[in-house]
Amino acid sequence: MSSNIVAMDAAPTAIDGERMTAPAPAAKPRRRRPGGFTPYALLVPSLVILIAIVGWPLFQLIIMSFQKFGRAQVFGAPPEFVWFDNYTKILTDPTFWQVVARSLAFAAVCVVLTMVLGTLIALMMMRLGKFFRLLLTVGLLLAWAMPALTATIVWGWIFDTDYGVINNVLVNLFGLTDFTQHSWLINPLSFFLVAAVVVIWGAVPFVAFTVYAGLTQVPDEVLEAAQLDGTSYVQRFRFIIVPYLRSIFVVVIILQVIWDLRVFTQIFALQGIGGIKEQTNVLGTYIYSVSIAGGEYGTGGAIAVIVVILLMAISIYYVRQTIKEEDL
Amino acid sequence: MRKLAFVAIGAAAALALAGCASGGNAASTSGADKANIRVWFVGTDTPKDAREYLEKTFAKENPGSKIVIEEQSWTGLVDKLTTSLSGSDSPDVVEVGNTQAAAFTSAGAFMDLTSHKKELGGDDLLPGFVEAGSYDGKFYAPPLYSGARLVFYKKDALAAAGLSVPKTLDDYVSNGEALATANPGKSGIWWPGQDWYNALPFIWENGGEIAVQKGGKWVSELGSADSVKGLKEVQEVMTKASAAPKDGQETNPQVGFCDGTTLQLSAPSWVKWSILAAADADTPGCPDQEANLGVYALPGKNGGAAKVFAGGSNIGISAKTKHPELSLSALKIIESKGFQTIYGKNGLVPSLKSLAPTLGTDDVAKAIAAAAANAKLTPASPKWADVEASGVLTDLFVKIAQGGDVESLAKDADKKIDDTLNG
Repeated sequence: MSSNIVAMDAAPTAIDGERMTAPAPAAKPRRRRPGGFTPYALLVPSLVILIAIVGWPLFQLIIMSFQKFGRAQVFGAPPEFVWFDNYTKILTDPTFWQVVARSLAFAAVCVVLTMVLGTLIALMMMRLGKFFRLLLTVGLLLAWAMPALTATIVWGWIFDTDYGVINNVLVNLFGLTDFTQHSWLINPLSFFLVAAVVVIWGAVPFVAFTVYAGLTQVPDEVLEAAQLDGTSYVQRFRFIIVPYLRSIFVVVIILQVIWDLRVFTQIFALQGIGGIKEQTNVLGTYIYSVSIAGGEYGTGGAIAVIVVILLMAISIYYVRQTIKEEDL
Repeated sequence: MRKLAFVAIGAAAALALAGCASGGNAASTSGADKANIRVWFVGTDTPKDAREYLEKTFAKENPGSKIVIEEQSWTGLVDKLTTSLSGSDSPDVVEVGNTQAAAFTSAGAFMDLTSHKKELGGDDLLPGFVEAGSYDGKFYAPPLYSGARLVFYKKDALAAAGLSVPKTLDDYVSNGEALATANPGKSGIWWPGQDWYNALPFIWENGGEIAVQKGGKWVSELGSADSVKGLKEVQEVMTKASAAPKDGQETNPQVGFCDGTTLQLSAPSWVKWSILAAADADTPGCPDQEANLGVYALPGKNGGAAKVFAGGSNIGISAKTKHPELSLSALKIIESKGFQTIYGKNGLVPSLKSLAPTLGTDDVAKAIAAAAANAKLTPASPKWADVEASGVLTDLFVKIAQGGDVESLAKDADKKIDDTLNG
């Protein structure tokens, strides 16, 4: 079998006797396939929809962030362009930086815990019997399907100061009388503990399902061979499973970072139940309180643009890092 | 490289679309045709009888047209109204809190009703609320109803502690503390930290103000000596007389009253109906407590009724309504004697002064009349709604309930309120 034919067929690898060889470089530049324009044409409809529902609002947001835009402007008064006034106002406001720091810290904790818990549950699902796996799947699906607002209100009841089950159990079962009428939300740190429970509880199913789907694709033979070579389970996880699942981990982590950084519903609903808004605002609720509740849409728009840039910077850095590693 | 090409195409298309997408849409004007008029009532305050009265009377007066009532929630109302009144899918007639009205009248969200003022009640309308619904000399939103704040108490608890109904604000405070001491773990005066409405009488009775207008600018005065004196009394009640959550909301006050942990509470007059709601209602109350439920108007510093916050609503027609005539017809029914009498019978102060006797002659009615006579409003600034929505006040009172330093907390809040009111 000549290597020429192999190259023509563009097979990924060739077998030369017992050894694997890389495919030889193509002899001549590949011919342009007929209908090279078709794929783009097919993409046009979805692109148009995306631009209409994502691009246009984003464009509006950017314009608004350069304007003095209050409630009167919503009802039709012409807005006045103030260019970078909104941005300088925000970037020199210490409250904004506190909110950014708080959001980053909260997101970091949530992402790490969600990934660890989700992966552990996925690994457990690989080992469970059929019945318990089904039970776990149903449980996870229910948690995943529960709307964030409903979940937060229910968790709010669980942690309720007067009638909550947590305080009740701590006082009546464990005799911790300090927890009589203990307010879980009034202290910011404890507020974020409750918030983290709600957020992680809602996010774990997605991670667990995705990682589980990836785990089923790891070939058994490789794991078996490694086992025969006497590797420990941790070693197999570290050197076989993780590399196989790298792309899945990347996507899931990026999604989690984005979701947790712009978390809104859970924090907003919890702030309504208790706690001090000023000390518990994260980026999402801060934008809401400035722009929508405070009626300063221009300033809120500027914060939103800054958040978009922040999120993109984090994601792009991460994607680039990963692509580099894959190329090596 | 191919990815880059996509980005380029996307960006180009976005720019192209952005250039041509700002076409206006012509509003269709239709006269007195047949249509559904969407009316937004907020919260459960407006009784079922009143809603049915409106639907029936409107259908009779405007054959072929119909009222569609959509109930909204008080939480997040300002932003809900901002988005829906400015959109193409605007409701026709909307209720708005009296302290929020200025935010919308000043922005041009409501139809100008100056020429119809007489048909809607004219000089018989509650004056403070007419002011709240007017802007720049024009009349936009007539009053819907007013709800006075009353103190509800358990007669047996007060009697068991050897106390009687307080005659002055100081008595009220000391009564609350005595009740709390006599009943450990219970609230002599139930006061969750986020409830700032009830703190206003303490500020006003001590001669303080929330904010005053000085030379065209608003100056917040929570940190003034008089206000701080009132706020310190608030802190005393919150820490010594109340067992309510320090960061809780004032919603569902009937829960504690019915399970016996709340002995007194200050709330809008319609809370009576929450307390007496049937045990199998959606939000159950305790009708068996009816004989034990006492009520009085919050007493002032020097006796008489205290200056309390005049909660209540205005109601306007959206400037974007497609059926101005039908909407006006609905509004006229709402301001009619028939409709407003139903409010009176349910313990809400009707929008027409002449209907005050409909409140009846029982204790609640007497307390309402006393409280309403001395009621006061929040600062009449279009930006006041933003102060409320920003949560400055709820944060302030949660911190006061925690036992923080009143004076410095009040001064901090002043700074934020100044920023918002003059921003």
